[in-house]
Amino acid sequence: MATAPTSAGQPVPIPLSPSAAQLSSWGLDPSWSRRVLIDGSDGRPVDWHVLDTGPGPAGTIVCVHGNPSWGYIWRDLLTTLAPAWRVIAIDQTGMGWSERGRPRRLADRVAELVSFCRQEITGPLVLAAHDWGGPVAVGASGSLDVEALILANTAVAKPGGVAVPPLIKAARGLVDLSCRRTPAFVAGTARMTDRVHRDALQAPYRGADRREAVRDFVADIPVIASDPSDQALRECAAVLDTHDRPTLLLWGGRDPVFHDRFLADLRARVPHADVERFADAAHLVTLDAPVGPVVARWLDGLGTRRPAPVPELGTTPFESVLASLGVRSNDHSPAYDGPDGVLSWADLESRSSLAAHALHRGGLRPGDRVSVLVPPSCELLIAAAAVWKVGAVPVVADASAGVRQLRRLIRAAAPAWTIGTPGTLALATALRFAPGSSRAVFGTFPGAVDLSAARSDALAGSAPFVPIEAAAADVAAIVHTSGATGPAKAVRYTHGALAAQRDVVGPLFGMHPGDAFTTSFGPFMLLAPSLQMTCVRPDFDVDKPSLLGFDELAAALAKAHVTVAWLSPASARSILDSARGRSAPIDLVMLAGAPIPVDMVEGIRAVTGGDVRTPYGMTECLPVTDGTAPDRVGRLGGNSTGRPVPGCSILITALDDPATPRHDDTGWGEILLHAPWMFDGYEAAWTADADTWAEHGGVRYHRTGDVGYVEDGLLMHLGRRRHVIATAEGPLASVAIEGPVAAATGRTAAAVGVGPTGTQVLCVVVEGTGDLRVASITVRNAAREACPHRIAAVLEGRLPVDRRHQSKIDRTALAADVTDFLAGR
Amino acid sequence: MKVFLTGGSSLLGRTVAEQLAARGDQVTCFQRSPSGTGTTDVLGDVRDAAAVLRAAEGHDAIVHLAALVAPRPTWEEAYQVNVVGTQHVVTAAARCGRLLHVSSPSVAFDGGPAVGAGTEPARYRGRDAYARSKAVAERYVLEHAVVPTVVIRPHLVWGPGDTQLVGRIVDRARQGRLVLPDHGRALVDTTYIDDAAASIVAGLDRTGDSDEAVGAAWVVSGGDPRTLAELVEGILAAAGIDPVVRSVPAPLLGVAGRLVGTFWPGDEPPLTHFAARQLAVAHWFDQTHTRRVLQWQPKVGIDRGMDELGRWFASHR
Repeated sequence: MATAPTSAGQPVPIPLSPSAAQLSSWGLDPSWSRRVLIDGSDGRPVDWHVLDTGPGPAGTIVCVHGNPSWGYIWRDLLTTLAPAWRVIAIDQTGMGWSERGRPRRLADRVAELVSFCRQEITGPLVLAAHDWGGPVAVGASGSLDVEALILANTAVAKPGGVAVPPLIKAARGLVDLSCRRTPAFVAGTARMTDRVHRDALQAPYRGADRREAVRDFVADIPVIASDPSDQALRECAAVLDTHDRPTLLLWGGRDPVFHDRFLADLRARVPHADVERFADAAHLVTLDAPVGPVVARWLDGLGTRRPAPVPELGTTPFESVLASLGVRSNDHSPAYDGPDGVLSWADLESRSSLAAHALHRGGLRPGDRVSVLVPPSCELLIAAAAVWKVGAVPVVADASAGVRQLRRLIRAAAPAWTIGTPGTLALATALRFAPGSSRAVFGTFPGAVDLSAARSDALAGSAPFVPIEAAAADVAAIVHTSGATGPAKAVRYTHGALAAQRDVVGPLFGMHPGDAFTTSFGPFMLLAPSLQMTCVRPDFDVDKPSLLGFDELAAALAKAHVTVAWLSPASARSILDSARGRSAPIDLVMLAGAPIPVDMVEGIRAVTGGDVRTPYGMTECLPVTDGTAPDRVGRLGGNSTGRPVPGCSILITALDDPATPRHDDTGWGEILLHAPWMFDGYEAAWTADADTWAEHGGVRYHRTGDVGYVEDGLLMHLGRRRHVIATAEGPLASVAIEGPVAAATGRTAAAVGVGPTGTQVLCVVVEGTGDLRVASITVRNAAREACPHRIAAVLEGRLPVDRRHQSKIDRTALAADVTDFLAGR
Repeated sequence: MKVFLTGGSSLLGRTVAEQLAARGDQVTCFQRSPSGTGTTDVLGDVRDAAAVLRAAEGHDAIVHLAALVAPRPTWEEAYQVNVVGTQHVVTAAARCGRLLHVSSPSVAFDGGPAVGAGTEPARYRGRDAYARSKAVAERYVLEHAVVPTVVIRPHLVWGPGDTQLVGRIVDRARQGRLVLPDHGRALVDTTYIDDAAASIVAGLDRTGDSDEAVGAAWVVSGGDPRTLAELVEGILAAAGIDPVVRSVPAPLLGVAGRLVGTFWPGDEPPLTHFAARQLAVAHWFDQTHTRRVLQWQPKVGIDRGMDELGRWFASHR
């Protein structure tokens, strides 16, 4: 519109508010746009533009944008939360469609927000803020009575070790050119989100005279202590440090300005904050992600807190996994024996102490997250023990999912430290796994603390390091779900849970101190030392479990008295395929990663001559059952996973209704469980966390997302809840259908539902080669005869399997394929 | 109850008339040629307004099945029978008290797949003269009927003696001309003749006792969809024919159907675009609501229906 100066140089009047047509085209209700006079910080009234949804019974949410944006960025909150809430998205002085005035500093903006809220709002107040609106809102919250605070991709201070965001630095260097004289900064910000938002984001900033405040805002960001607003920012940070109201942090994971280290800084200041991180959203998270429903649900739940922490932790004297490690500190027998060498108990103790000392001296502190990029080896055991000795938290991510996934997980964890080999550190640095993170290395790497044995001698002169004793409730580790059955999630464990896991696993699975154990799972190697067992690592690439064949297993067994093995289905299959009649004696073999076919159980039993079990468990809780009676098939289908481990309580609840447990022994439903050794919660995923917990009798249960039932005290597993087929006649569990069909056809089968939930039809795919096609009449008849339910289509074709275990059929992908196939074209 | 039924010489009309008679209703069948149902026949044409009014006089309810179901009708032919004829029936129904109108799921067919489609009123489409005329007729019925009215859309009705679906498949297979789109992979629901007739009888009863059923159109099907390949195999097996079926990529068949439908010189083209599209994409429906409202359930279904079909072919060889 008329923002350009006339030829005489006289600026023509600028329309103060966007037109109704503009607002409608941006998805905003034109009636929300209104003007309000507030007390300006310079003593004169200022004419603000706000988007105001009008009265709402729940209270008022005042939303504060950053620079350079305006109230538009809160569109999702405006449209989702009204009319239950009154949502007001303000345009700060000089910004958006508000009056252009004298330059404002941070303290001025805080004062103006306070004066707006005092003038306009009665009743409960929630402040929401984004970007540099964050310090403004936080500062104002110190003078206002806020019910809750919602912050999105913002900061109140620069975390230690983090450089000034390069974009800010670049903008500041040429601040007038980049921010005012040209639309570079405005356009650059608008380009961080979807194209549909660009017009709305840029509209109030067309013309250099409209962008003065954009420049002044950037110039006001304190970079060094002598900057004018440095003190104001420190005051905001101090307000946040004492903030005790409910707080929700909304975070876009792909923000080049406010990356996850800034999130970590905010979390450290507000430990009680709930965090919802959107991995694929960028800086303008409120536009990139569906934040409205999350905020609505979070605000609904204000006042209801989750059940008290697990009471069992206090009942037995607590001995951390680290403490149990120290028991054998004078023992020169091997704690670890692998292709990279042998590590004695005494060396593990002394080298991890030296490494802990070096890390502590380098600045590692209790509670800090440490990304451990060390492959299973002597060094992995040393690194984990060293991190625990400092009281820090190892972040374990599985490299088998690929570098991209690894980077995603580590960036989300925002570790203050990274420990690696020279190779993994080079990769992590090149790909910016952890911006601003300190580094430690086994070997040499530029700028990294050296943890290798030889260099640690240098510490000998300094004061002795005393390991920190962890409390049961302290966070002990961050591990990740595989992502084989959904997006990978970060899972938080406490020291109490790890100790409880150690105490239950040892006696239950015959893992006795002094014996040796072997495994194809990398992270399981960390279990052995706490059980005082020797860990024998077979010589194979742990990221590719199918490379563990019979010869590698036999070689491992020759090294020590291995009594117990934990194997993945892919390794078990590979061992069976290469055994050629030979045998490798092991007392007890656990096959984990259900479902395990019965023929695999029988095969491993023949090869090892030992007891074979298929215990049930997941990243969030392991073990759940003891894995006995693996070849027993239940009345409603599915295989036995054994008896619940003593101390673990299991509830079967109605599908999609975790509040209603089934007390009869006749039905199947979702498996809920509680155990002292289960996880503490999901990291930075408030919604997933809220979804997973269900309270029964004052105890919090984890919703596993698996379905099953209990028969004669055995837990029968029927697959994933997501794979339940919701027909008009009722729900069907995939596994219960697949077993009989596979038996009748002699081929692996997968059952999927096609159509809308509640009216789906059952379709069965038997394994074949090539693309899907209608199965032959023989297969069709056999399948239909074996299945008590009506099957709409029996198809055959290649079955998609997951990458990690290569055993779980990806039924979600298969269902999509079958749906497409049967839809015709 | 005295029921006036139009279109009694079709397989579906005959079966409805027989089911009504069997339970003790007094049925008058109105069509151009004798119905062979053993009920009272009045010969006439629905295009003749006076004839319809006269014949319907004194009945308690009307079941309107008469329709032009030619593969390639002109719009004028289809309009006269399916629309004007229906208007006459609606006028007559105003004096009879209740109306059950038989429509067709094709009125809402948009060329895309129907996968567990719900009962919410679909938008009228009507991609050929038949479907378009049936759409206009259905809308006329729902907008103008002044007496309690239920509309039933039976989906792909088949059974012994059916000349539409079964007859055409068997004829073409015998001539070696049967082609299926993409090996017949689309999931299609069908309605066995006795079940379809029973749903119409149920719909007629609901005109008297269900506010929910009245004034709406209900898609009725067996609720047991199968791939087209299996259906065709089953029908051919029942007819004792070797299932030699050729496959053509669905998009190609659509184009071929368009050409053939337009330029085929005879009365009955081997394929029309509309038919090709309808068999190339999924067609099955959420029947839970429909069954509850109509208080009807299919009793025979597809598997027993195929057995019946086999017996019928065996005795008609």
